[in-house]
Order: sequence, then C-alpha cells, then structure tokens
Amino acid sequence: MILETPDFQAYRGQEPPRFANKAELECAKVLDYYGVPWEYEPTTFVLEEDEDGRVVEAFKPDFYLPEQDLYVEVTVMKQSLVTRKNRKLRKLRERYPEVRVKLFYKRDIERLAERYQLELAS
Amino acid sequence: MRELGREIARDYEGKEPMLVAPLKASVVFAADLSRALPIPHELDFIELASYASGADTGGHGRIRLLKDLDAEIAGRNVLIVEDVIDTGLTLNYLCKTLSLRDPGSLAAATLLDRPYRRLVEDLPVRYVGFTVPDELFVGYGFDLQERYRNLPDLHVLQKS
Repeated sequence: MILETPDFQAYRGQEPPRFANKAELECAKVLDYYGVPWEYEPTTFVLEEDEDGRVVEAFKPDFYLPEQDLYVEVTVMKQSLVTRKNRKLRKLRERYPEVRVKLFYKRDIERLAERYQLELAS
Repeated sequence: MRELGREIARDYEGKEPMLVAPLKASVVFAADLSRALPIPHELDFIELASYASGADTGGHGRIRLLKDLDAEIAGRNVLIVEDVIDTGLTLNYLCKTLSLRDPGSLAAATLLDRPYRRLVEDLPVRYVGFTVPDELFVGYGFDLQERYRNLPDLHVLQKS
C-alpha cells in the first residue's frame, strides 16, 4: 500500500518519510498541524549483538521529536499482542537509559482519532 | 473549584491575572473558576481551528486562530484555562503563540489532566483539578459531536 506524503512543514528529516501504515501517517499529520518538529525513524538502536558483534536485534522508533528529545513508537496492534514490542522497549530502556521513548498504543491512537477525527482505517 | 480559586488567588494576589480560555469546551470551567477567584482578574477567549476542521478538505495545513484575544497581553500575567490536557499539543501551541506577545508570566490551569498521554512535557501546567483515567467525558462543557456540553456534571461516556 502506498500512502500519501503531504508537504510536511514541521518535518526535520532529510529523506521523504515512508510510513508503514495509516496510523503513522495520521500521527505525523497531527504533529505537523500543531507545529511540533518531528523526524521519522531517524535512529536505529542496537539491542543485542552476537559474539562476533553482529546485530541480532534492533529497534527503530517511528518518530523523534527533537524539541522534546522524545522518541515515539506507534503501534496499532491489539493490546494483547504488544508484548514483543513492550519487551523491546524494556530492552532499549535498559541499554540506553538516557533515551526517552514513549509507546503509543492502539488505544492511544483511537483516542487521538476520536479527538481529531482521524481516518485510521487501512 | 473553591480550592483552585483559593490557590490561584494566593499566587496571583495583586497581579490581576488574565484568564485565557480556549473555546469551546473550557468555557464552563472558565466561568466557574472566574467566579471562584476572589481577586481582580480579566477573562478573555481564544479559539483555535481543530485538527479535524483544518483537515476536512483532505488537505494538510497548520493550526490557525479562529478567534484571537480581544486584549493585549504584553506584561500581563496570563493564566490559560484548559478543559483537559493530554498530549499537550494544543497547549504547547498556545504557549508558543502567546509567549511571542511578551506576557509578564504564562501558566496554565486545567480541569482534567492525563499526564500519562503527554507528548510535549515542558508545559507550564501549574493548577490541576483532577488527574483522570483514560476515559471520554461529556458534560460540563465537554461534547460529543457538539452535544451534551450543557449537562451540568461530568459524565464518563460508555461506548456500547
């Protein structure tokens, strides 16, 4: 599925963002609307390496808000299916305690959708 | 409400604050807070285009003022009176916009707070009525598609 990429004004990245789903796109549009600078997947955090130093597990949060120094991961999975993502987040916090990251669950996105009348069906 | 009024009155004694209420949901709270504030103060209103109304053409825009303040705020002690703060996006925009007008001070009071949903943390939220769970409310100014604002009390919306 190819998603539209509007002419974002608060986007601070270099390459045009390629969103994985409509919830990410709508979140980007809300951030942009309120003038909050944002980047899309700018950083990959290594979570685990094997004995040869090869990366075996990594995590790339969806958004980075430079003014807030905050990473935001958006998940549209059901609450019961986010265990794996929660585990990754826990690992990230253990390995990079200085990094601020927030997980936006499906429920949070639905709240945003209700408040801002987003179109999230995809 | 009386507690909030007393607390704000103590902090703003002699400063004649200006309460700034973003329309529409905060209007009932602002009216009650104003009446519970036993010190001289002004009341003004501002209205921002909601994301939904700004995006209803399917296009993409930026937030804009539908109604600006009537009064100048340079040097004034401004207290933004919000209905609810969750992500903080709206309040962040308001603070940035009003800061450009050189107020003497800028702070916020909110009836409801959902700090666990914050995307923008660095906000001058000084007075909080209630920290609430992740529920939808109607009544006391809160609406569902413009209905139920007139209900005198807050109600949790139960979805079937």
